[in-house]
Amino acid sequence: MMVELGNFTPEERAAQEERLRKAWKTPGGWRYWTSVNNSEIGLWYGVTAFAFMLFAGLLGLLMRVQLSVPNNDFISADLYNQAFTLHGTVMMFLFAVPIFEAVAIFLLPSMLGARELPFPRLSAFGFWSFLLGGVFVCGSIFFNAAPNAGWFMYPPLATDKEYAGIGADIWLLGLSFIEVASIAAAVEIIVGIMKCRAPGMRINMMPMFAWYLLIVAGMILFAFPPLIAGDILFEMERMFDWPFFDASRGGDPLLWQHLFWIFGHPEVYIIFLPAIALMAMIVPTFSQRPIVGYSWIVLAAVGTGFLSFGLWVHHMFTTGLPQISLAFFSAASEAVAIPTGVQIFVFIATMLAGRVIFSVPMLFGAGGIIIFVIGGLTGVMVALAPFDWQAHDTYFVVAHLHYVLIGGMFFPIVAGIYYYFPFVTGKKLSDAWGKVSFWLMFTGFNVAFFPMHFSGLRGMPRRVFTYPEDIGWDWFNLISTVGAFIFAAGVATFVIDIFRPKPKPKERNLNPWNSGTLEWTNDPSEDWGMRSVPIISSRYPLWDQPNLQADIEAGRYYLPDAKSGKRETLVTSVLDAEPIQCLRVGGSSYVTIIAALALGGVFIALTYHWWIPTIISAIITFIAILWWLWNGTGPIPESAEVDVGLGQTLPVYVSGPASVGWWAMFITMVGDGTAFASLIFGYFFYWTVHDDFTAGASGPGEPWPMVALVLFVIAWLLTIVARQLNEKGVVGCRIALVAGIGVTFAACLAGVAGPYLHGMDPTSNVYPAIVWIIAIWTVTHGAVGIVMQAYCLARSFAGRMTAQYDQDIRNVALYWHFMAFTAVVTFAVIGLFPMVSA
Amino acid sequence: MTGEGLTESCPGRCPRLCRSSVALLVIFLSSCSGSQSALDPAGPEASRVAHLFFVMLFGGAVIWVAVVAALIYASRKKNAHSEESAGRVILWCGAILPSAILCALLSYGMWLMPAIRPWVPDDQPVRRIEVTGEQFWWRVRYLDETGKTLFETANEVRIPVGEPTHFALKAADVIHSFWVPSLGGKMDMIPGRTNPLALQADREGIYNGVCAEFCGESHALMAFRVRAVAAADYEAWLSERSAETRTNGLADAEGLAVFLKNGCGACHAISGTAANGRIGPDLTAFGERNTLAAGTLPHTAEDIARFIADPAKIKPGVRMPHFGMLQEADIQRMAAFLKELK
Amino acid sequence: MKSFIPREVESLWTLFTAPIVWAVHFVVCYGAVAVYCAKTAMLGFEFSTMRIILGGFTVVALGMIVLAAYLAWRQWGFGSGDPPHDEATRQDRALFQGFATLLLSGLSFVAVVYVAIPLIFIAECQR
Repeated sequence: MMVELGNFTPEERAAQEERLRKAWKTPGGWRYWTSVNNSEIGLWYGVTAFAFMLFAGLLGLLMRVQLSVPNNDFISADLYNQAFTLHGTVMMFLFAVPIFEAVAIFLLPSMLGARELPFPRLSAFGFWSFLLGGVFVCGSIFFNAAPNAGWFMYPPLATDKEYAGIGADIWLLGLSFIEVASIAAAVEIIVGIMKCRAPGMRINMMPMFAWYLLIVAGMILFAFPPLIAGDILFEMERMFDWPFFDASRGGDPLLWQHLFWIFGHPEVYIIFLPAIALMAMIVPTFSQRPIVGYSWIVLAAVGTGFLSFGLWVHHMFTTGLPQISLAFFSAASEAVAIPTGVQIFVFIATMLAGRVIFSVPMLFGAGGIIIFVIGGLTGVMVALAPFDWQAHDTYFVVAHLHYVLIGGMFFPIVAGIYYYFPFVTGKKLSDAWGKVSFWLMFTGFNVAFFPMHFSGLRGMPRRVFTYPEDIGWDWFNLISTVGAFIFAAGVATFVIDIFRPKPKPKERNLNPWNSGTLEWTNDPSEDWGMRSVPIISSRYPLWDQPNLQADIEAGRYYLPDAKSGKRETLVTSVLDAEPIQCLRVGGSSYVTIIAALALGGVFIALTYHWWIPTIISAIITFIAILWWLWNGTGPIPESAEVDVGLGQTLPVYVSGPASVGWWAMFITMVGDGTAFASLIFGYFFYWTVHDDFTAGASGPGEPWPMVALVLFVIAWLLTIVARQLNEKGVVGCRIALVAGIGVTFAACLAGVAGPYLHGMDPTSNVYPAIVWIIAIWTVTHGAVGIVMQAYCLARSFAGRMTAQYDQDIRNVALYWHFMAFTAVVTFAVIGLFPMVSA
Repeated sequence: MTGEGLTESCPGRCPRLCRSSVALLVIFLSSCSGSQSALDPAGPEASRVAHLFFVMLFGGAVIWVAVVAALIYASRKKNAHSEESAGRVILWCGAILPSAILCALLSYGMWLMPAIRPWVPDDQPVRRIEVTGEQFWWRVRYLDETGKTLFETANEVRIPVGEPTHFALKAADVIHSFWVPSLGGKMDMIPGRTNPLALQADREGIYNGVCAEFCGESHALMAFRVRAVAAADYEAWLSERSAETRTNGLADAEGLAVFLKNGCGACHAISGTAANGRIGPDLTAFGERNTLAAGTLPHTAEDIARFIADPAKIKPGVRMPHFGMLQEADIQRMAAFLKELK
Repeated sequence: MKSFIPREVESLWTLFTAPIVWAVHFVVCYGAVAVYCAKTAMLGFEFSTMRIILGGFTVVALGMIVLAAYLAWRQWGFGSGDPPHDEATRQDRALFQGFATLLLSGLSFVAVVYVAIPLIFIAECQR
């Protein structure tokens, strides 16, 4: 890609910078919180997640104090149970996943050479949801109302209202809310990585971090929805007594375990891969050479991503499933060790082929690997079902999982914070403090967790608030407690190092570690990210492209200016990163906060069964989101094409598969389809566990489901017709949309008619309950489909959707493809399967 | 089969070999004589799994030392290696070698699984012991070949030495997990399901078992004992306990009267008396047991009295109401009576 | 073969071919035995028949992975150029895709073999 770089006089540059500054300005005063800029959202996200981690760490210390000596009564059994439930929940949901979202939102645009991720307001919405949900969940322990049934929430213990009171609802609803935020972040990250890379950054040039994050975001899309489906079933049982997990009415507690662990095991890798991604940025820098085995890293990331979905039953090895089923999961669990091993040896090979500077980030990185390898090896052990029959639910597993997560995630995160601190603040953290912190953490961690392998194999089960003194666990536990405090001292040292006042560096040095990747060209004191969007021709452009930094800062590349006064970034093609669009992204806004608060209100009001506030909050959420879409998405631009610099003009508005919005819809619907598939899995699961899964109850019959199926298909066709007619003129499109709304409405009525007219009582048995829930799922999607059709109609009348500017109808048509698929599967299954199986 | 030869040629020897070879381990394992350790096996399943563990431990230690050595070498060496040779390290150490090792290990594990938990056809008549997990104790029913209940007891399981004992595991309220580390792996007890498990002890003794799945407030206080006795003694005990009427230990008519007067019989059963409650643990031959309150307290008259007076103080969340309002003398009387039920 | 599958497949999706074959194989194996062991009476054939069916399916899956690997090898120019494939050219990008796909095919092959190993050792639906 040979192009003439731009040349500007200092005056022109100053004017450009003024306009850019104005467009990307972070609001001042209390309006600061309406900011949606990735550097603010990323920082808030990170700080919040870190604070939750410290809180959960304190809970961990509380548990260690209680277990330091046998028969201790430092805290009560119930408080201990709340503490370990919250420790696991907070570490997994409020620290490990969000911290990676934080790092991704903060780093990705700079790394990819974009000004901003494609949906900044979505990131902001995700953050506010996360903050609200997190505070709600954590705060519960101060009212003695925290969830107390374990972070895995197994029914029937967690559905027992006498034992697991409001805490279980707080867990289910608070975390569902946060899962929504995670899926939002996944959409943002996938579209950002696929479409917003700097020109020339082909997929073989992407930073390692982006490869990992792409895979992780894809995993979130398939891992979180099953849990959301599980949460729905769970909350229906708790709130309305639908017996999904109640064995006495045909339910089965194991269905929850399946859904939870289909989420839960990929979750481990969702946590682990981004941390390794940070290592993949750090190791080449301190080996002073490009990474060896770039393709191997891709193998490792993709391979782990896939295999991690074949491991979930290894959390259920002792539930009495047939050995052959367990064996398949043993096999996949061993296989996943291969890509993990590749990852470690890629780092070793890179260090072998380079000259290593052993700085603090490397110290934490190497220490993390040393710890993680132990966790990996014990992982290979527990992956074998026969050994797991002994080790399962003992302190051996506690040791294993902490070796994996602290070695594979926490240490690399700390390494990443040391590495990227200058990128965030322009100042370095202290080497001396870092070394002290490392040795305290490393020693403390091993002293705390290594003995747990032995206490576990000597028979100590997990989640015990105390233990007798004569069994031989005393010393192991006392040592563990001492180690935990040493570890905590290391973390405290690190926190002090972050917050202590640091002198301003004497000279401006944007790249203090001499790194090779693009993010180090950014000036932390400016809000615009990249001064101009460069053309990339190397994996390590700062090493291989001479004068890059100066050219970027002189505005010699793309988008050196913000003439429109709007926030603009480049969209490029997926494989070869050729510029295809100048994308305008949303700026500071209240709407994200209002939408998040209102949605939070829905979940919190539901927890306490306050129905009226629930409905009011839901209406506010609905209005806020519509307002957001109406004003914030797809505005018709002042001109079709704009000058992006370097003598090129690009369209501002694109629709269909070329647009980021279409991709976001596609990705969201893939996640939505996964949740739906989980419900269908539930239907067939109940079929397998019973001889007659209908328990003699009447089904929805065949006629009504078939009518619904046909009507939904017609509504889908009408939507497609509307899309086609819109290209020719508004009238036909509007007629088709009106017809579509009517047919969809009829289809929804027909959908519930089957179960309703056959008097299926969802509290009587699990069969009517699962039929109802699947029908409700589909009909709810039908209702959303109506809203979308009506939205297009309104946009058409308002002149915001025309033959040329037709994003709305195209995205809605895409939704309807998924809608039609959902409807066909739903009504074929609930209508026809009872006939087939009988 | 890599594993097969090893197991057949040196049953139980490799663990000792490993013990002597790894100095650090000696320190940890020298005190492994507790009756609740998976590393101190007393039955075929536990010993084969312990053997598997020691094989993996040894292999894992070698791999860990090698990786750490490689890491230290890579960061300390003076000259940079070529990219080609570094790439070969990824191929061989990262991909091919682990694939081969894991393939062998997986085969060993897969071969072991049906070997330690063999197929028992559904129609094959076997005597079973039905154990039901309840918050926070164990209901134990001895069944005959046809599945008929012979008698019920609680919190202590007696099994014969040298032959597999078949368990049918159930749950009454929430999920529990039945685990006797010295004899073998655990099996969950799940409402609505009956899970099978067969365990065998090779020597007489008392082995501790615990609940391994979090089951509520006093999950930590839900243990039991397995007493392995000679097969002949077992049969004798079985027929003695199966007898319809019993009078053992019931000589203390006054103690029994206090027990019945305070309504204890509504929840607890004592064979041969009017006490026939089925809600709480069966107390027939209660005095034979080693522990009190599902492995929580030693089996002494004082502790029994303490438990009757305020069970929730010892076991938070327990279903039994407290009887602290009774006369101290009555509580003592009951405790003495129960202690002598043999 | 060559006439059916063009040499230049301009898509990121080809990268995932072999892992998707693994995933399908895994789900089919797990689903088949789960349904078989739950509904043995209804199905009325021996478990050994199921093992043979799944064994045959394993061979099919491995064949598909080998095919994917061959196509990847072809895209990689039959190994004519060594990694790192980090040039800023369309050709190097395609070579990188070929090589990464080849590596993933290798991993998927091993993973499918692993998943088939239990079929050798476990002969019944025991728990």
